[in-house]
Amino acid sequence: MKPRMMAGSSGDTKNPKIKPRPIVRIGIFLISHSIVVSLLCFAAGIVALILLPLFAKNTYISENALMPGSANSMLSSQDVKEANKLVKDIIGLKLSSEEARIEIPRLIAQHMADAGSEVYYHKFHPQMSQFYPLHFFSGSPNSGNIKENHSCVSHAINTVGIIRAPRGDGKEAIVLVTPYNSEKVELGEALSLALAYSIFSLLTRVTWLAKDVIWLAADARYGEYASVTAWLRDYHIPQFSALEKLDADICFESGYPHEQNENQIRTDVISRAGTMAAGLVFKVVDKHKETDKDTLSIYAEASNGQMPNLDLINIVNYLAVHRQGLRVKVEKLYFLLDSVFLKIVGDVLETIGKVARSLNARWEFGIPVADYIDGAATLASSMYHQALGVPTGSHGAFRDYQVDAITLEISPKVSLNNEVRILEFLLRGGRLIEGTIRSVNNLLEKFHQSFFLYFLTSPSKFVSVGVYMIAFGLLVVPLPIIAASLYCDANVLDSHCIKEQQKSGPASTNEAGIAFQSWRWLHAAKVVLVIHLWGAIVSLLPYLMYQFPEMTPTTSMLSWGLLSIASLLFLHQILGSPYSCVTVNQSPNREWAVLKSMMIAAAGIGLGLMSIINFATAQIGALLIVPMCLMVHPLKHVYRAGRLRTLAVTACNISLGFIGFPPAAFLFLKAYSEGLGSVSAGDFWNWVESLWAWNSATYLYLGHEGYRLKHCRHGHCQGGQNQRAGEQNDRYRR
Amino acid sequence: MEKTRWFWVWVITSLFFRLVLIYFPENLNLGFRPEVATPLTSLRRLAEGYWLKQSSMSPYAGSMYHGSPMLLSILGPLTVKRIEGQPSHLMCSLLFVVADLVTAMLIRATGQTLQLAYSQSLRSLNLVSLLESSETLSAGDIAALVYLWNPLTIITCVGSSTSPIENLLIVLSLYGACLRIAPLAAFGWVLAMHLSLYPVILIIPVILLLGYGPDAPPRKLFLQKNSSENGNSPSCHGNYPCNEVTSQEKLPLHPFLWRPVMHFMLWASFWLFYVFVLCSISLKQHGGLLEMLKRTHGFILTMEDLSPNIGVLWYFFAEVFDFFRDFFLIVFHINILFMILPLAIRLKHRPCFLAFVYIAISSMLKSYPSVGDSALYLGILGLFINELAEMKFSFFLFCGYIGVSLLSPVMHNLWIWRGTGNANFYFATAIAYACLQIILVVESVGAMLNHDRMLRKNSTVKL
Repeated sequence: MKPRMMAGSSGDTKNPKIKPRPIVRIGIFLISHSIVVSLLCFAAGIVALILLPLFAKNTYISENALMPGSANSMLSSQDVKEANKLVKDIIGLKLSSEEARIEIPRLIAQHMADAGSEVYYHKFHPQMSQFYPLHFFSGSPNSGNIKENHSCVSHAINTVGIIRAPRGDGKEAIVLVTPYNSEKVELGEALSLALAYSIFSLLTRVTWLAKDVIWLAADARYGEYASVTAWLRDYHIPQFSALEKLDADICFESGYPHEQNENQIRTDVISRAGTMAAGLVFKVVDKHKETDKDTLSIYAEASNGQMPNLDLINIVNYLAVHRQGLRVKVEKLYFLLDSVFLKIVGDVLETIGKVARSLNARWEFGIPVADYIDGAATLASSMYHQALGVPTGSHGAFRDYQVDAITLEISPKVSLNNEVRILEFLLRGGRLIEGTIRSVNNLLEKFHQSFFLYFLTSPSKFVSVGVYMIAFGLLVVPLPIIAASLYCDANVLDSHCIKEQQKSGPASTNEAGIAFQSWRWLHAAKVVLVIHLWGAIVSLLPYLMYQFPEMTPTTSMLSWGLLSIASLLFLHQILGSPYSCVTVNQSPNREWAVLKSMMIAAAGIGLGLMSIINFATAQIGALLIVPMCLMVHPLKHVYRAGRLRTLAVTACNISLGFIGFPPAAFLFLKAYSEGLGSVSAGDFWNWVESLWAWNSATYLYLGHEGYRLKHCRHGHCQGGQNQRAGEQNDRYRR
Repeated sequence: MEKTRWFWVWVITSLFFRLVLIYFPENLNLGFRPEVATPLTSLRRLAEGYWLKQSSMSPYAGSMYHGSPMLLSILGPLTVKRIEGQPSHLMCSLLFVVADLVTAMLIRATGQTLQLAYSQSLRSLNLVSLLESSETLSAGDIAALVYLWNPLTIITCVGSSTSPIENLLIVLSLYGACLRIAPLAAFGWVLAMHLSLYPVILIIPVILLLGYGPDAPPRKLFLQKNSSENGNSPSCHGNYPCNEVTSQEKLPLHPFLWRPVMHFMLWASFWLFYVFVLCSISLKQHGGLLEMLKRTHGFILTMEDLSPNIGVLWYFFAEVFDFFRDFFLIVFHINILFMILPLAIRLKHRPCFLAFVYIAISSMLKSYPSVGDSALYLGILGLFINELAEMKFSFFLFCGYIGVSLLSPVMHNLWIWRGTGNANFYFATAIAYACLQIILVVESVGAMLNHDRMLRKNSTVKL
């Protein structure tokens, strides 16, 4: 608006043909057509999101040094037979869980030592899930040293073996992780241990190893993630506390496996093997489902939507498909496969593709319906897991230390009951892992060539950051445009008001109004700030409530809600009182417009930030928040318009608000999926608890979204209040 | 009365807020953030320097400490002093809180002086109607509160960096100059220059303040007014003596006073000498003054430490070839000097505002900037709230500052901790920050000149 006014004033004086610069003209155009532009952008954003599977590219191995599959596999059937013996040993141990807890690590350690590697036990206590409110930005991975009284029985034992590379200098390492439950070992876990052992014993003999190899047999009594995290923490952050030592001494007798040759196996030290180049977690799942090929599932999502380098997935995928003939899968949301909507979209896309190809044979952008649906389901799953911020496996622990890691879940095509099948299966899986290690072994630097920010749409297709950012950008662009247009309109409106008043009354009274015109948004900024402060308080409240551990989820939830409302009232009393300083000259229209533009600007900044922290969260959030921000309008103002429009707008606002309010949305989804009977307020608490246990950014975001909604409501009541103030003014004038 | 009470309530709340934050330092970890603590201002480095000195080595050994030896003797003992059960940096942090409070009070006093001068000059220009608006807002109070409640100031204060002391000295110098206390102005200026070198350019606004007095509308206006009044008054025609009449009506058009300026110069050279003597005593065994200048001011000028910060120079000098390095060092530093003279000519009637512009420019182009510098100039900006009422893009700037200050830690996290970003991510926010500062300076200078134009228009209309 300003440039236009400036142009007008300069036109008065000399040359009326003067035009503002092109960029200013574009800005004016966008602002003056803000509603159309924002609707278009929003629609385009949603369309681009739906089209994402279409734009997926084939993966390619970006780092030349990897050279997957260039060497022949050295794993022989002899190694596999040895490994099979381990399986029999483990399965054959008919022990009580108490004995098995000590006996299995001993067995594994024995095998490791026999293969000729360094072995030690790593003992850890499970850590309580604690809520650190400011953990996200302090950066360092969990360094909280909470000392609690653990009994000697409660700890778990990881067994770690290290092969020193004959060609390396001990500066780098590759980590193999096999989680197993020490209390009840199943065949699958035994097989994964055997798989690791077969490779491990091979690697002690090979000459090409340039990086040390660490095999972590993780005791998953307290969950596999906890054990891997504990080992990684002790590996990276050494603890030198005397307490620990004392504890170790007391518990020594009962806690550690007794060894005949005790001098070999250390229990008190953590041996290290340099920085980790990659981590491979592998599990064997004995599913009793017949398929035509052995299946490999790849899990990659780590905490907060971080992904390992795409090259790691690429080499595993390449070796599995082209060398070992496995079927490779990534997770997908299976219920989407039957979705009618996706089918229709896929049909349309396929038709368009066909038409385009008939017009010009070189246009190839259509994909078959099945591919599209499959890609969309995988993409949705990928996005869901990234947005939730909860890692999909123990590989997530590695990402906190900037190590690229994935989980490989191998399942055989038929049930493993005869020995030949087992041997064949072990050989195939072992060769895959050996090939992967050999590739990673070739690396000169840590993974950096390929992508870190991507979504998978199939094991061999991905959508990179450059593509999906467009969809997000289109979704978010309406926010600044609407904010600017509202702000400019408010200013213009204001100046009109002042001019009219200047005509009627003496000039001197209005000078206070003219001054500070450009700072008028300060009041709105205050309101927005108070609301955001409240949001921050609400999201920090659980920290306070965590001090009372004996609350049930339902009471926690209720007290959280009550405390939130109480804090809002409190803030409203001391800081807020947003209505106390309504200046005389403010027209109510202007007031809410400025407030809305301020709110939208804040939402835009928040979404932009979130898109950098965790893209998927921001994407889903934008889908919810942007329409909410655009639709919100003071109810009092709407009533003036026609009845139908009023109803429509009110209904839209309320439904959007309902969906956007996280507890409501969660309960709704839950009720939808499991039936109404199972819904209780405690569920939401449990869910949120799981989120902050993982330090998820989604948690931050939940609070964010929560207050955004309040904000909108606040916008409503603010508008109502202003309306009332306006009426009072009218009466006063009469 | 009500207003002053509220002012004090807010001041005390801000201090209390700081104390609360100081008590929970581990979660915040601000002292390690590159936005807060630079190689020059980091308290951790100071503690290291103090330790080196205590073990009778040069505090500058190992390129850890780059501050003044005097700061070392004042703050150093506080870094090792522990109170049982309290955070280790408590004493220093308390000192910084006091420094912030004193700075705010000095800004307030300066603001009151400025406002007095402003209303006087408006009254003498017969523009009393303009005053009605400005009397509702006391610029000094607002500036002090802006300084105290600015999140950047709070972060700097809590984040154990020595910037609050540098800011205090700069404001002290401006305050002394405003009240024409030459020794105080000289003291502040010399120490500020000694600590961080860049305040050396503030000598121009300080001299203008001492010579002409606080900010006023352009002198031309007064001249016009006087001449027109002379011309209009019928008694002054011809050879009639009209000196007595006009001298009463004549506007307060002060000539440049050389006396306080000369005082300032003398005091400045005295303080400078004094500081050098103290420093040389303190560094007698460790290479003396030359070593100190090399390790402090030399360190600033040669940009030796290329660790990331919110400025734009580190990235550039990390990329540039070694044989161009000297050339670009000169270019970048001359950049600041280039802008001094034109701005001084254009804004010589508003020396305090000139000081604000200089501080903003140097915080944009200095080699190790931190958010403490922005805290200072944003606080001083509050002094001109009446003049800058018509400033454009204020909303945009506000959103920009919020966005950049949130984006910077996120990008840093992405680069350093997660490893999914790289240096370009962080540098992008540094560029955005620099652009914001440029817009702020340009718009505020523009608004100030517009304000002057408005005054001229109104005064000529009234004639």
